[in-house]
Amino acid sequence: MSVFTKSPWIIHYDASSCNGCDIEVLACLTPIFDVERLGVVNIGNPKHADIFLVTGAVNEQSQSVIRNIYNQMPEPKVVVAVGICAATGGIFRECYNISGGVDSVIPVDVHVPGCAARPEAIIDGVVQALGVLEKKHQDMAATTGNIDQTLYLRAEKDDAPGILALQKNAGQCEAKIYGDESLPALQQTLEELQSDFDRMVFIKAVVNSKLIGFARGYVREDNTCVNGVIVHPYFRRHGIGRRLLEEIEKAFPSAKRFEIFTGQKNERGLHLLGKLGYREFKTEPFTPAITWVHLQKERQ
Amino acid sequence: MSIWIRVILYLVAAPVVGCLLAGWDRRISARMQSRRGPPILQPLYDVQKLWQKQNIVVRRSQNFYILFFLLLVIFTGALFFAGSDLLLVIFALTLAAIFFVLGAYKASSPYSFIGAERELIQMMAYEPMILLTAIGMYIVTKSFQVQKIASHPTLLVLVLPGIFLGFLFTLEIKFRKSPFDLSCSHHAHQELVRGITTEFSGRTLAMIEIAHWYENVFLLGWVYLFFASSPLLGVAVSLLVFVFVILVDNVFARLKWQTALRSAWVVAAVLGFGNILILSLLH
Amino acid sequence: MTLVLILILVPFAAGLGLLCLRPDYLRRILVGCTTLAVCGCTLALARLPTPVNLEAVPLNHHWINVGMMLIEIGMGLYVIYVGLRAKHPLIVALMLAQAGLMGWFELTQGSHLEAAQNLFVDKFSVIMALINGVVGGGICLYALGYMREYHEVAHRDVADRRPLFFALLFVFMSAMFGLVFANNLKWLFFFWEITTLCSFLLIGYTQTEEARRNALRALVMNLAGGLAFALAIVWFYKQAHSIELQVLIASKQSLVLLPAALLCFAGITKSAQLPFSSWLLGAMVAPTPVSALLHSSTMVKAGVYLVLRMAPVISGTKVGLLVAMVGGVTFVVGSLAAITTSEAKRVLAWSTIANLGLIVLCGGIGTYEAVWAGVLLIIFHAVAKCLLFLCVGVVEHKLHSRNIEDMSGLILRMPRVAVMMLIGMAGMFLAPFGMLISKWAVLKAVVDANPLLSVFIVFGSSATLFFWVKWMGKLVEVVGSCERVKKELVLGESVALYGLSAATFLTCLLFPLISSRFVEPYVVDVYGQSASLSQGNIIIMTIMMAMVMLFPFSFISYGHGVKVVDAYLGGANVNSSVRFLGSASAVENVTMHNYYLRSLFDETWLSRWGVIGSAVLLAVMLVMACL
Repeated sequence: MSVFTKSPWIIHYDASSCNGCDIEVLACLTPIFDVERLGVVNIGNPKHADIFLVTGAVNEQSQSVIRNIYNQMPEPKVVVAVGICAATGGIFRECYNISGGVDSVIPVDVHVPGCAARPEAIIDGVVQALGVLEKKHQDMAATTGNIDQTLYLRAEKDDAPGILALQKNAGQCEAKIYGDESLPALQQTLEELQSDFDRMVFIKAVVNSKLIGFARGYVREDNTCVNGVIVHPYFRRHGIGRRLLEEIEKAFPSAKRFEIFTGQKNERGLHLLGKLGYREFKTEPFTPAITWVHLQKERQ
Repeated sequence: MSIWIRVILYLVAAPVVGCLLAGWDRRISARMQSRRGPPILQPLYDVQKLWQKQNIVVRRSQNFYILFFLLLVIFTGALFFAGSDLLLVIFALTLAAIFFVLGAYKASSPYSFIGAERELIQMMAYEPMILLTAIGMYIVTKSFQVQKIASHPTLLVLVLPGIFLGFLFTLEIKFRKSPFDLSCSHHAHQELVRGITTEFSGRTLAMIEIAHWYENVFLLGWVYLFFASSPLLGVAVSLLVFVFVILVDNVFARLKWQTALRSAWVVAAVLGFGNILILSLLH
Repeated sequence: MTLVLILILVPFAAGLGLLCLRPDYLRRILVGCTTLAVCGCTLALARLPTPVNLEAVPLNHHWINVGMMLIEIGMGLYVIYVGLRAKHPLIVALMLAQAGLMGWFELTQGSHLEAAQNLFVDKFSVIMALINGVVGGGICLYALGYMREYHEVAHRDVADRRPLFFALLFVFMSAMFGLVFANNLKWLFFFWEITTLCSFLLIGYTQTEEARRNALRALVMNLAGGLAFALAIVWFYKQAHSIELQVLIASKQSLVLLPAALLCFAGITKSAQLPFSSWLLGAMVAPTPVSALLHSSTMVKAGVYLVLRMAPVISGTKVGLLVAMVGGVTFVVGSLAAITTSEAKRVLAWSTIANLGLIVLCGGIGTYEAVWAGVLLIIFHAVAKCLLFLCVGVVEHKLHSRNIEDMSGLILRMPRVAVMMLIGMAGMFLAPFGMLISKWAVLKAVVDANPLLSVFIVFGSSATLFFWVKWMGKLVEVVGSCERVKKELVLGESVALYGLSAATFLTCLLFPLISSRFVEPYVVDVYGQSASLSQGNIIIMTIMMAMVMLFPFSFISYGHGVKVVDAYLGGANVNSSVRFLGSASAVENVTMHNYYLRSLFDETWLSRWGVIGSAVLLAVMLVMACL
């Protein structure tokens, strides 16, 4: 057991909660539950905190606040989303002002279910977060000198759950744009993803031992299909998507042609692909709302 | 015991003692609040964890001030336990505290700024009393040297009761306890976010904590000076004073800084100066 | 001997010469040469063994006395003219009283007024001469560049009377030399009055309504001191048939208590102690070199110099106790008042008044320890305060503001000046710098002599901490983008500032040497024993100084191993540390203003009660001296 598990300092932020989960979080500090005996202190200052406890769903105002607070926390850090509102938006999911759960803004490590989440569940969630924190610290210590640097590595089957979570997260954002939930990204199950590992190459982008993006590709006839590049919303616009595409192209040195497809409303993605040399060659309607745009690129 | 042995003992043992004192502080506070409280070594775990965290800053030079704050606090305590001039010890402590305050100013954020201003007000509040304490001790023992004061045959507290009480009052400020924890919200409080320590993280925050350990041991050592002629009584009273400070912390809410400044100066004038006045009249 | 004469006459001649020079480059040459000559002479003087027998060179006293009398009559007439023109009856009355008294004195006693030794040199005079020469010289060099910018850029509406300005600076410098070397009380008085006149003319330099008013106020208060001085001379002659300073100091206490008290009164007015502090505060309207030279480093030091000279006479008496209390009250009130104001020169003025109060406290106590501490205070204060005033002058020109709140981020905008200001401020109150050593010495002297007086020091010094550190913090904090100012310093300014910063460090590092070579011999001469800093403490102070000087080296690892993020603004940051999202989605800027504690300490209230209290103390002192 390292010291990280013995001295977890928490910053608690209420995104747009009804305060039910907040009261339960504060109840953890009372004599009945007394989390201080575990060394937990509600520190209220991101620069001193290890664990970011978020309650409530995310609306427009809290998005920038969550990003600010998360940005000001020193590594290693974990995020615990308390309550179902923080996980997925809860019963307020369909509201016009709610953009989703916390993981639509920052990467979440532990979800604590409940409405309101019970103190015992919250404490259990924090303890599990400590385990994640410990693992992150060990991974970071193993790759010392790479703090805050993005590493591009081959993903293994163990990474499947994390990749699936990212995939579903991105898929939910896309589904909101099209108003259609039948995207294949959302429909895929864990077993299907794990079997994909047998025939596809997965490249993952990792920052501070946190999975923040991935790309996968496979060979079909003599083309290479790149079947998805996904980056977590918090880490977009940093050139990670571009690097992932480059890495996946490097993973297939003998391929002569690359193919990729995306939805017609994905303007930024289409723009990026255009800059990387992909040209549109086919469109394929999928559902009334979604049309796939297929692009291809010859290797130089 | 030779000076060097005392100094080395202080350098090595003070953080250990300070850590245990801080741990007991949290334990006792928790028990007073019907909780169980953290393990005694919790401050050690905190410092160890902080040491391994990433160091993030707002301005690149802000951490240098804290390093010197730590070094000068250690220097102050070493001076005190080596037995040198008490006034010089006070001035060295002031110098250390000023580095701390300047570091918070350098961090250039509103919360650290308020914390720095309030820390200065705290310093302004307790300085008259601690200077009067040194002067009182001089009047009785005819020396500012801690060595001589410690070897004085009479129990100083009997001749300096007013000054002792005034000193206890300022200890509440120096230990950063309610009602006067104005500048940096120890432990569970969240006002001012973290006040003067808001923008420091990682190793730097650990250094601040360690500096506070050294400082607390030095302050309790000064309490011991009042009872130096009977050492066992001195140690016992020092620990009792520590528990008393925690008790007051848990009983009182934080007061306003105006109250802190006014009351500390009134106490210094009445208890401190009054004691000296009586001593002068008696001689 | 010749050195002394050179020091008095050369600046005077240079002053007259400067009065006639119009072109700037000629002025620069003359100022530079004179400054170098003066510095060289004072340093040479410092190396001579003292006391020096000065009667080896025959001076024709008769013609000198006639010359002085003529100049005095001229000054008196001018002052009366000024008083009449300004419709200020008090000035006229005081001048007439003073002139009448001295005139009657000369007429009735004229032929007997001979001093065995008109001029003398001892270690204390040498220290004062060094300060006057080196620090004063530095200020004159600074003034060259400063005044050019003053007239050409910053204050084009003020009439360019630079020849008069520089002439007055040098006449003043020569008068100061005369003052510290004079043994003949009449000669001392003569130089004293010249400094009063120079101060009046220089305060009124800008010729605005406010400047005129403040100059008149300075004149009135200094004339009151002058009247007391004249009374002292007359009374002393009646008691002891002598007009020599050394005789006064060596006389029996009961015999000369009243003259000594009157001289202390004169010193109190000259060094702007309560109740006479308002003239110094008002004098801050003058250009910065005036504030630095006259009103912090040299002229006001003449007042405390006189009080310290009187120390052996008033030591242990009620008069001494009351003088010490006046100094103590001034120290506390000045320190508290400095907290409440945000105008830089006003803070420096109050701080000067407070520190002079501390020196007067030492003089009033009058033991050997106290005098040792007092002389040290003079040395360290002169250097550090001068540095601060000169830096504030540069900052005022470049930022067009004297407000401390506008100096935020100066460490990035004007790094060299900011660092020198930090050195100056550290020199004013921080261990292990000089003023702290002096304050420590004062505390020790006070507890040995009269512990009850320590209450003043204890409360005053905690107040000084507050306003200095708050200003230092304002300089290092960086809120928003801070652009570097193009040309921080011109040549004269940088020579003076670098020199003074080095002097602040050197006087502190060489403090044991200064103490043993200059201060201790003087104290031993007067009292037979002296205080000093023990070996152990010197070592400790050196270690502390070394630690403080290591601080700049930490910047070698600047930016290594740290990640820069924004400050915590409750999560409402808008892409920076200084802008945040306020209510109604408006983007607001972060502003941070220092605390001025005006709800606790009101400057007007403090001044009023300080004046009342100290006036009462002074009145009691004079009554006690008569008894």
